[in-house]
Parts: sequence; C-alpha cells; structure tokens
Amino acid sequence: MRKIGRTTWASILVVVLGLVLFAVGTDGFRAYTAEAARIVKLNDENPDFPKITMQDNEGRTFTLSELSGKYVLMTFIYTSCGTVCPQIEMNMSEVYNRLPQGAIGQDIVFLSISFDTDRDTPEVLEAYRQYFVQDTDNWRLARVPERGELNKLLNAFGVIVIPGSNGDFAHNGAFYLIDRKGRLAEIMNYTKVDQAVAKIERRLAGDKGA
Amino acid sequence: MNQSFYGLLLFAGLLVPPVARLMESIMIVHMHMQMPLLVISGFLMAHAFQTRFPRFFDKWNEGGLPGILLFSIITVYWMIPRTMDEAITMQSMELFKFVSLPFLAGIPLRDSWKRLGNMGRNVTIGVFTVLFFAAGFIYLNSNEQLCNSYLLIEQITLGWGFLLTAVAMTIYLLYITFVDREAYEGPAS
Repeated sequence: MRKIGRTTWASILVVVLGLVLFAVGTDGFRAYTAEAARIVKLNDENPDFPKITMQDNEGRTFTLSELSGKYVLMTFIYTSCGTVCPQIEMNMSEVYNRLPQGAIGQDIVFLSISFDTDRDTPEVLEAYRQYFVQDTDNWRLARVPERGELNKLLNAFGVIVIPGSNGDFAHNGAFYLIDRKGRLAEIMNYTKVDQAVAKIERRLAGDKGA
Repeated sequence: MNQSFYGLLLFAGLLVPPVARLMESIMIVHMHMQMPLLVISGFLMAHAFQTRFPRFFDKWNEGGLPGILLFSIITVYWMIPRTMDEAITMQSMELFKFVSLPFLAGIPLRDSWKRLGNMGRNVTIGVFTVLFFAAGFIYLNSNEQLCNSYLLIEQITLGWGFLLTAVAMTIYLLYITFVDREAYEGPAS
C-alpha cells in the first residue's frame, strides 16, 4: 500500500510542477505566443516613446514632443509591403473615420512609422499616403533616418522585423496608442477596429471628465 | 557505459554554438530535429544514471507513470510557439531547453518505457498521436504568424511535419493492433 502511495505522490508532484511551469511560461495562461507575451508585457510596463528624430512625408523633421499633449495612434509599416501593411493602414483610416471629427487634431493624431529607412524616402511616403490618408495635418507618415534611433524605437516597443528574401520584411503588426505624456498607453489588435475605436473613445471621455 | 558516452557526445555536439544556431535557424529542424535529438541524447545517457542511482528510479518511478508524465509535460511545453521564440531570444530559456530535454525528458522516458508495459506504451503513443494531429492542424490553419522568429511558410512546414509524424504513429498503432507480430518476429522477448 505504501509503495502505491509513493509513486502516486511522485505523479502528483510532477503534474503540479508541470502546471507551475506552464503558468510561469505563459504569464498565467495568458500568452502562448511571444507576440501575446510582448503585448502583455508592454501593456503592463507602459514604456516611454524614446527621444528620436523622425522625418515625415513632407520632408519635415520632428520629434514626438511636438505632438505631445495629444494621444498618438501609431503603426509600424513599410511601403513595399504587399500583405499586412496596407491592411493595417486601411484599418487605421477606418479608426480615423469613426472617431468624432472634433477630437482629431485636438486630442489625437495619427502616425505611421516606416522601418524601411533606405527605400521609404519622404517622396515614397508621400505617394503612399495618397492611398490611405487625406488629412495631411493630423496623420504623418514618417521614417527614422538615424539607424541607431530606429533600433531604439523598435526595441522599446518590441517590434521584431525579419528581412525576407525579396526585400520583404516580416513583422508583428499592431496599433500603438501613445498617451498625452508620450508613454505607451496600450497596444491594440489592428484587426479589431471596433474595439480600438471604443477604447480610444473611452480614454478621451475619461480625460474630459477628469 | 559506451552508450552513455555516445549520448554525452551527441549532447556536446548539439551544444556547439554554430550547430545550435544552424538548427534553430529553421523552424522544423529546431522542433523536430534538435529537440528530439536532445531527448535522444538524454535517453542514451540515462544508462549511466540508472546504474549509479538504481534505488532512486526504483523507488520513485516504480510503475513508470511519474517519469512518463514528466517526459510528456516537458515535451509539450516545448511545443508552445512562445517557448521556441524565447529559446532563441533569451539565454536563460536556451539553457533551460538544453537541460530539460535531455535530463527531464530523455532520462525519464528511458526509465519509464521499460516499466510501462505494452498498455502504457500504446496509450502514450496514442496520446502523442492525437496531440500531433492537433498541433499539426493548429500550425497549418493559423493564418497568423505564431512565432516572431519564424515566417509563416516555416510554420506551415512545421504543421506538415507534425501531421506526417502523427500519420506514422497511427500506422504503427494500427500495425500492432491488427497484425500478429509473433507470426513475423517470433515470441516477444
């Protein structure tokens, strides 16, 4: 009888340790992919937008602090991308259209950052803009000319870019909402436009009430 | 003893950084070659541990159940997309992979397998068959890129790898169910 007890205990111990391993390894069964883990972590930590200089589709150089005091809805793209990026930009313009027009420019601006610094010159970005964006004042397309600064930005927000074979890049796509103080407020799923609009509206309304 | 030496040699070979990096650069090689080879290296090295600590294994793994559970948990853990990514991006996870697969999966598998008996073995293979079919379909049908370090096409390749392995295990299970092995192989020793 004691022998049966012992191996049963050993089995129970193994299962319990296994559950602990899985719980720790998936942030409490929340994140089974590194992408989900990245979002859980960033939403917990709210990192600052690094101090970097960007160049937009009209050739203007600017920093995020010029936009501060407003929310910034941001995406990472590159213009030669035929798969995810057009969809991200389409969905972001959908968010733009659904938000109250009074808020745009006042409380929130839009920013698409290209990580393909070499090819996405201001002229290329300007041509790309015309597919998705009419409002040139409140939606900038930008690149980060300085490579070190670009890497700083990508690292801060955990964006992983894998160069592919034909000048393509594979990368993780999302909406990044930067708050009025220049900190990452939230990462949102770029395929869920309704959810993103609702979340932004709630934040804007919350600020008004305060 | 010889066997354990070859296991150690295999383990050492897999540890060499360029070898590890090469194998990890291709998703299906990472999961379906490097990881099983690590388990096999532990499986071979198990002999040395069994002869050194026979009482420990007899005492705690008598029916083989604790060992096979440990083996299953460790291998399933390394099938999660996130753990594969983290093994590449985090040194501590890479270390854990190289420790856990040989020593917490390979060794218990070896020790449990001879204790389990036919029924236990077939149940184990059956469970992994179902699991591999499921994992295969998940990797094939997920249109999202599950791993940040690997492209979608590699993920689909991995999915087919899972399915083919599952098919092979199914054939094996059918074979032992419907074929009288003694007629071909003589009485089981």
